[in-house]
Order: sequence, then C-alpha cells, then structure tokens
Amino acid sequence: MLVCAARLGAQAGRASEAQVKAVFLFNFAQFVDWPAEAVPDSHAPVVIGVLGGDPFGAFLDATVRGEHRGARPFEVQRFQRVEDITRCDILFIGRPVGDRPEEILARLKNRPILTVSDADRFAERGGMIRFVTDRGRIRLQINPEAAEAARLTISSKLLRVAEVITPTGR
Amino acid sequence: MALRDWPIKRKLTAMLVLISGLVLLLTSAAFAGYQYWSLRRATRDALSVRGRIIAANSTASLAFANDADARELLSALRADPHIVAAVLYDKGGHVFARYPASIVGDLVPAAPGPDGYRFERGLLIGFQPVEETGSQRLGTLYLASDLGAVYDTFRLSGVIGLAVMAVALLAAYLLSRVLQGTISQPILALAETARAVSTRQDYSVRASRLGSDELGVLTDAFNQMLGRIEDQNRALTQSQDELQRYAADLERRVEERTHELKERNESLRRNAAELLAANTELDAFAYSVSHDLRAPLRTIDGFSQVLLEDNAAQLDEAGRESLHRVRAASQRMGTLIDDLLKLARVTRAEIRTEDVDLSGMARDIAAELQRATPERQVEFAIAPGLKARGDARLLRVVLDNLLRNSWKYTAKQPAPRVEFGPVEANGGEAFMVRDNGAGFDMKYADKLFGVFQRLHSAAEFEGTGVGLATVRRIINRHGGRIWAEGAVDQGATFYFTL
Repeated sequence: MLVCAARLGAQAGRASEAQVKAVFLFNFAQFVDWPAEAVPDSHAPVVIGVLGGDPFGAFLDATVRGEHRGARPFEVQRFQRVEDITRCDILFIGRPVGDRPEEILARLKNRPILTVSDADRFAERGGMIRFVTDRGRIRLQINPEAAEAARLTISSKLLRVAEVITPTGR
Repeated sequence: MALRDWPIKRKLTAMLVLISGLVLLLTSAAFAGYQYWSLRRATRDALSVRGRIIAANSTASLAFANDADARELLSALRADPHIVAAVLYDKGGHVFARYPASIVGDLVPAAPGPDGYRFERGLLIGFQPVEETGSQRLGTLYLASDLGAVYDTFRLSGVIGLAVMAVALLAAYLLSRVLQGTISQPILALAETARAVSTRQDYSVRASRLGSDELGVLTDAFNQMLGRIEDQNRALTQSQDELQRYAADLERRVEERTHELKERNESLRRNAAELLAANTELDAFAYSVSHDLRAPLRTIDGFSQVLLEDNAAQLDEAGRESLHRVRAASQRMGTLIDDLLKLARVTRAEIRTEDVDLSGMARDIAAELQRATPERQVEFAIAPGLKARGDARLLRVVLDNLLRNSWKYTAKQPAPRVEFGPVEANGGEAFMVRDNGAGFDMKYADKLFGVFQRLHSAAEFEGTGVGLATVRRIINRHGGRIWAEGAVDQGATFYFTL
C-alpha cells in the first residue's frame, strides 16, 4: 500500500495524465501487430492520429519525436472528421466525437486501425482500448474481439496488464 | 626414526602411497578448480537466462506502468531461494517494483548499474535491459543471487572427492603392501643371508633367488661371491696349515743349525786360540832360534875367514875351496836368519796409520835398485799420485819386496819392464805390480806366499822364500788382500788392496 501511494504521488508529480496517456499511445505500437497490407513499405511512418479534441498538447509530439518501430518513424496527425482519416495505425478518439463512438467506429469498421479512447464503456461499445482513470492511475480496458475483427494482433503481454472486455459475452 | 632408517618395506609402501596421494590431490585440486570456475559460470548463465525471461515478460508492465503486475512477475522468483533481491527500474532509473516486497538497504541499488552479470561482494548480480524487440528501452531489471548454489554443489563434490580419495588411498595402500613384496622380498632375503654370513662366519649359506630381474642378478652375483669366498677360505686354511708345518720344520732346522754353528764356533774359537798360542809360540821360537843361531854362525864364518887369511898357504886348493863354500853357506844362512827375524818382527810390530805416498816410495825403491846394479837397464812405469793409509815402514817393506822380486825375475829379459799402478778389482780400488819376467805356473799360485816356498831354484834366482810371506802378513795386518796372476815366461802381476 505504501509503495502504491508513493507511486501515485510520483506519477502525479512528474507527469500529468495527458503525458502518461501519450506515452501509452506510443507504447501500444510495440505490443500490437498490424496486418501486412496495412504497412505500405518498411519505411512507411507509424501514424498516430488524434480525432477531435486533442488532450495531449505538445506531449504526444514530444514523446514520438525521433522514435522508430524497426525502420519506421513515428508521425502524429490530427483529424477533425472521420472522413479525413486516410492512413492511420493508432487512432485516439478525443472529445466531443468520442462521446458517441459507435458512429465513428462504424465508419472505421474493418480498417486495421487501433482505436483508443477514454470514452465511457468504449470497449464495450466496440472500441479496442479504453483508458480508465482509477484513483489517479491509468488503467487499460481492451476488447480483443474488436481488434481481431480489424485483423490486429494484440500481444498477450499487453492483455495481461489490461482488463479484458468481451461485449458479446463470449 | 629417521626416514633413511625405515625398513625398506615401509619405505616402498610410503613411497607408493605418497605418490598416489599426490596424484590424487593434484587431480582433485585441478578438478575442483575447474568445477568451481564452471559452476560460477553456469550459475551466472542461469541467472542471465532467468533475467532475460523476466525482462521479456515485464515489458508490458513497464510500458503501461502496471506495478502490481510487475510485482507478481518478480514474486515468481520465490521458487529460487538463492535469489536475494530483484528490482525493476523504469526508463528514468527509478525503482518500479521490487522483490521481496520488504527489501531495503544495500540490496537495492538506488539506480541501475551498467548492464551485465558479475560477482560482487559475495553475490552474483546482474543488470538486464528491459526492452520490447526492436524498440526503445523500457527499463532495467536487477537480480542478486547468493552463491549458495555454487557452494552447495562445491561442498557436495568436495565430500564426494574426499571420500573417493580416502578409498583410493586405502586401495593404493593395500595394493602397495602387496606389490612392494616383489621388490623388498629378494632384498630382505639377501640381507638375511648377508647377516647369517657375517654373524656365523658361515660361507656355505646361499640366498634364494626369487626372480630374474636385477635383484635376481644381484642374488646370483652374491651367491657366486660367497662361493668364491668359501673356496678361497678353504685354500687359505690349507695353505695356512702347510705354512705352519713349514714354519715348524724351519724352526726346528734353524735350531739344529744354530746349535751346530754354535758348536762349530766354539771349536773354531778354541782352534783360533790354540792357533794364536801356537803362532805366538812359534814366532817366539823362530825369533829365539834365529837369534841364537846367529852367534855360532858368526863363529863359523869368522873362523873360516881367519883360516883362509892366516893359513891359506898351508891349505891346498881343495881345502881353500871347501872353506869358501863353508863361508858362502854360513853367509847364506845368516841372510836366511835375518829374513826370518824380519818376518817375526813384522808379525809383532805395532801398526801406526798415516797417509803414505806410494808413488814416491816406489820411485825411491826403483832408484835404489838402479844404483845397486847400475849395469842393468830396467824400465820402470810408476803411476803418479798413488796414496794409501797405513804404516809407512811396513808398506815400504811390501813395495820393496814386490819391486825387488820383479827386478830379480826380469833379469833374463832382453827388455825388462816393471809397472806399478792402480787397478779396479771386485768393484774396489787396488794396486798392482806387473813385470814381464819369468812368471809362474798358476798351479802354484797358492804356494807363492808360503814361508820357504820357492818356485825357482836358488841357482836360477837367488832368494830365501820369506819375502812374499812377509808381504802377505803386512797386507793382512792392514786388513787387505793380496793375490797374483801369471804364466811361465809371460811375466807376473801382483795385486793388493789395503
């Protein structure tokens, strides 16, 4: 308990929630595998997209700057509308669009994009990963079925540190 | 007991056990060293494998800040009691999770050290990078293990090694007890034989031969030596007995001979004494007779002369002739008596030793002879510088006699020659007087020096036969020797030493 409290303090002290989330978004790239057709070539950038309101400010750009996944650099793109999304690997759906994700998710259906949001019950509603803030800590909820449907493979390691949500009750 | 005084059996056994012990010890030490080294390496490798597995599993925990998951992961290390500490550091080097949960202090480094596994302060520690493949580093895993595993294994193999060594040494000891016999047995047998020989003086014992190796050869040689000693001993004893017999015999003979010699000596001494007495008596007798004979002889000669001078007219030719003969005979008898008296004097005279110039003396005598008979021409060859020690008066008698003899007996020589000189005789110095006169027959060489012994008639050469006897007496009294060589008409040589 003491250690937990210390950790909370430390996390709060050194990084804001937005900062932690930005790092998490970046880290997802290491624990998720995309289908081959989603990668145009080995040097194509890994695109992290932000749809709607951007809670990260400069943190996300700072986090990915200079980083690579293999030979692929990271790139941050911001979209206002879902129609604007051309190529994207990880998509954070911010507010206010995130409050009604079904519509967006329907538009993205079957595209190999890892969808992330902090919207309520995002995973249960067809999203792939949800950030849950629990007593000052960021927790993950993952819906593997949704990822599977988009032909994304989520590492078992990632699943282990997350809460697995199965909306179909399978 | 000093090592060199140990019985050979014990020496051999000790040697074998020592060698096998040393071999075992070295082997064990080498093996233990190798085992220690390989155990440490194996332990390090095992820890590094474990570290890599945990690191691979903890990537997500670090990436998504799930420390509960990380702690759970680390708690799996409970299965290994030798792991004393495990710590996960995040990207920034801050402690993220630790095992065991309560651990503090030295065992938790404040910040991660350089990557890698190493032995430090009796612990095996390692810093393992935590990263997902092909991506940036997420953090560091720290593991610390005590070396209990190494020591446990090491202790176990040490116990096994000691047990093996004990068994091997025991086996080596037992084996050497058996095997040393092949070397020590023949040596002991030899030693036993040698002791028997030296204590009992019994050379008939023999060492038994147990093999045909060098010791067998030694045993054979030893036995041969004993045989030879025995033979020599026997021969020695025999010759000793023989020698003793000879010695006894010799002793007896020496005793006999000594006794005989003593008797003979005794009789000789008696004879000598008798002879001396007789000689003295004879000398005295000769002296007194000669002396007493001179008075009547002088009377005969004197009155014969008176008769011839005063009454010559009254005598006829035959009477005068008879008287002349009486006178000649009495004068000859006078000379004879003088010579005999001289001989007797020589015998009695005391010898006064001095240096004598023999050469000068010979020259004087030669000159005297020449003066007395100037009509004779005799060649004298007198070696110069001859010297001797003796009585000058007596030595003059010797030289006078010898030279006068030579003068006399060369009278009928056309070219008479008389020689006096030194000569080498029997390795010593001698003198000689040589002439080329009438000489003598070597048959009579012994008789030359006898009194009244004459080899020539008075008609041929006048003389009394006393001169050489006198010479020999003088030479004898000087401790010398005289002898002569010659042949009829070939001259004579007289040799003498002083």
